[in-house]
Amino acid sequence: MDMDDFGDDFKVPQRTVRKTYEIEYESLPQSAVERLVANDIDHISGIFGVEASAASLLLRYMNWNKERLIEKYMDNASAVTVAAGISPPSRASPSALGPDRSQGSSSGTRTSGFRRSARQTPAPPKAKPQPFVCPICFDDTQASFAALACDHTFCSGCWTAYITGKIREEGEHAIRCMAEGCALVAPDPFVRTALTDDPETWERFNELLVRHFVASNPNLKYCPYPSCTYTVSCPTAASKSALTTIVPIVTCGPDANPPHRFCFGCPIESDHRPVICSIAKMWLKKCRDDSETANWIKSNTKECSNCQSTIEKNGGCNHMTCKKCKHEFCWVCMGPWSEHGTAWYSCNRYDEKGGVDARDAQSKSRASLERYLHYYNRWANHEQSAKLSVELYAKTEKKMEEMQVTSNLTWIEVQFMKKAVDEVFKCRMTLKWTYAMAYYLEKGNEKELFEDNQRDLERAVEDLSELLESQIEPEIIPTLRQKVTDKTVYVSKRNEIMLEDTAKGFLEGRWQWNVPVEGFD
Amino acid sequence: MDARLRRVNKEIADCKNDKASNIKIDLVDSSPFHLKGSFPGPKDTPYEGGVFEVDIVVPESYPFQAVKMKFITKVYHPNISSASGAICLDILKDAWSPVLTLKSTLISLQSLLCSPEPNDPQDAEVAKHYMTSKKSFEETARYWTHIYAGGLGSKGKVDTKEAAKDEIAIAGLEQTHVTQFEGLGFERSKVIDVLRRMNYRGSNAANISDERIIDELLK
Repeated sequence: MDMDDFGDDFKVPQRTVRKTYEIEYESLPQSAVERLVANDIDHISGIFGVEASAASLLLRYMNWNKERLIEKYMDNASAVTVAAGISPPSRASPSALGPDRSQGSSSGTRTSGFRRSARQTPAPPKAKPQPFVCPICFDDTQASFAALACDHTFCSGCWTAYITGKIREEGEHAIRCMAEGCALVAPDPFVRTALTDDPETWERFNELLVRHFVASNPNLKYCPYPSCTYTVSCPTAASKSALTTIVPIVTCGPDANPPHRFCFGCPIESDHRPVICSIAKMWLKKCRDDSETANWIKSNTKECSNCQSTIEKNGGCNHMTCKKCKHEFCWVCMGPWSEHGTAWYSCNRYDEKGGVDARDAQSKSRASLERYLHYYNRWANHEQSAKLSVELYAKTEKKMEEMQVTSNLTWIEVQFMKKAVDEVFKCRMTLKWTYAMAYYLEKGNEKELFEDNQRDLERAVEDLSELLESQIEPEIIPTLRQKVTDKTVYVSKRNEIMLEDTAKGFLEGRWQWNVPVEGFD
Repeated sequence: MDARLRRVNKEIADCKNDKASNIKIDLVDSSPFHLKGSFPGPKDTPYEGGVFEVDIVVPESYPFQAVKMKFITKVYHPNISSASGAICLDILKDAWSPVLTLKSTLISLQSLLCSPEPNDPQDAEVAKHYMTSKKSFEETARYWTHIYAGGLGSKGKVDTKEAAKDEIAIAGLEQTHVTQFEGLGFERSKVIDVLRRMNYRGSNAANISDERIIDELLK
């Protein structure tokens, strides 16, 4: 009991029975991902019989897709080796070769790109006979030079400056030869040699490799929280089609408090359970596009009863002439002006037939807007209330701590509020997203059941919220504590039911939408 | 000496010594890292006879990062912004190599003038003009070369006497089209702006109804 506030976080990964709304995933530190990278490289280097550095370049070129790499490599090994930037194009097309061409030609091994690639590493710095001037810095005092397999030679100082810039500034992991138009890529040992005196940049280079590996692998996702280096592996949510049945909310790393929670399936950086990614995305887009505009339109405009153009009346009399269709009507009753006769400036014609018809049409077009606003207002309200309850708690907490000093209550006895606030916050987030879901749910029994669950949860949450607002006095604390604790348990159960049932509904394909949704037909 | 400074100094000196290429690099102020390059417009193009000036900024990490260049002289070209002089050229971005020099980059700009890439435009309106009517595009480009780059002027329709500030020719439009809409009571500058945006040129003019233009003009 005394570890209550932390208890939940520890329990989640240890649970043996997985709930329907939870998914299986694993959170990996960078070192573990590095091992995965090394495994892939070893595998490829074993199959092809090439050096690890070449295998790494091949894999990077094919975006770490081993199957496709093997297929392509078996098909035409030298073409892949050239395309991956391991060896220069064969002699037949000398275009990319620089001024040192004559030197390399004697080796005669160029045509077999692959054997050649083994030779290029680890690119020992060569001592060029004087007077060789590096074509980049024009410094004739340089003594150490290096080149990739293409023999484009530059001084080591320029290589280091170039490689450092590429890694630090451009975040590039495939660093091409400095010569113009040369497509060769510097293999890892070459990069390492250049960065001998700069372990930090070498570190960064390895991080870039890991990032590229993670980005290319659909089973992995980098934690989006700033400066977090964990990666989450979640193969169940890797395919697009899986995202129509599950909401892959994951947390990364055991160290973060609060844990970094994010969705594996989409870029929304918060828990959008119980709603699946595509619905959440649609809803957020609609809110961004519509909410404020819609509110304004609703309160400031009417539609022309003839052509349905939206009209803002910004002054003048009630005799309106639509700019678009020239229809003349009365702003007050929306009926055609012709029925108004000479009743200028006052509309006393409420029950005229034309007016009623016009208002009917008007109300129909307003209904969809009303419907959206109904859901939107509740959505926004839960978001707002969740924030307020956290603020309220900050105040309460202070008071409780004071009380702990002045009365004979123990620390544990004043902690019950924390759990309740956390629960309220969690449930309001659930509720918030249920409104997004309900907006798109097709009318019917299933929707009614969904809304029943939603109503039960909402009621429970509102009750608990109200309790949290109670005045806190030392004498009522024992009773309040009992009430709040009971209610918290109940609310938590209702939340479970909401999440569980919705998640099951997705798995069973029970939900029907009133709009086309990505992934459903 | 700082490697960047040594290199830029050598590049400037090399360029001075090379009289054959007609490419000039001058200091703008006392800093060797802010320069002004210039080169003649290539032969057999609408830019022939003009001299084009380019603003050059040598970044901190030069030559490992590309130089920043933009045209000072106004140029009518699909890959050069007609307003800002910004240039769309691969070697100024990701295809940059530290082996390239200021001179070689200016030569590349010169050859960009010879071979526009309207499919990868910097200035969409100019590119549209180029695609709809190459002849009319070339006339405007020649006209711009004449008034902004001191070129020979056109051998074609543009009347050099009127030249100084003929907005219609600058926009690459036809006098008759502009007067037609001006006649309806719209301001000349607005008419030019709208017609230019809608690419009311050459054969494309037939595809755009007068009503659409009036709608635009009323906005």
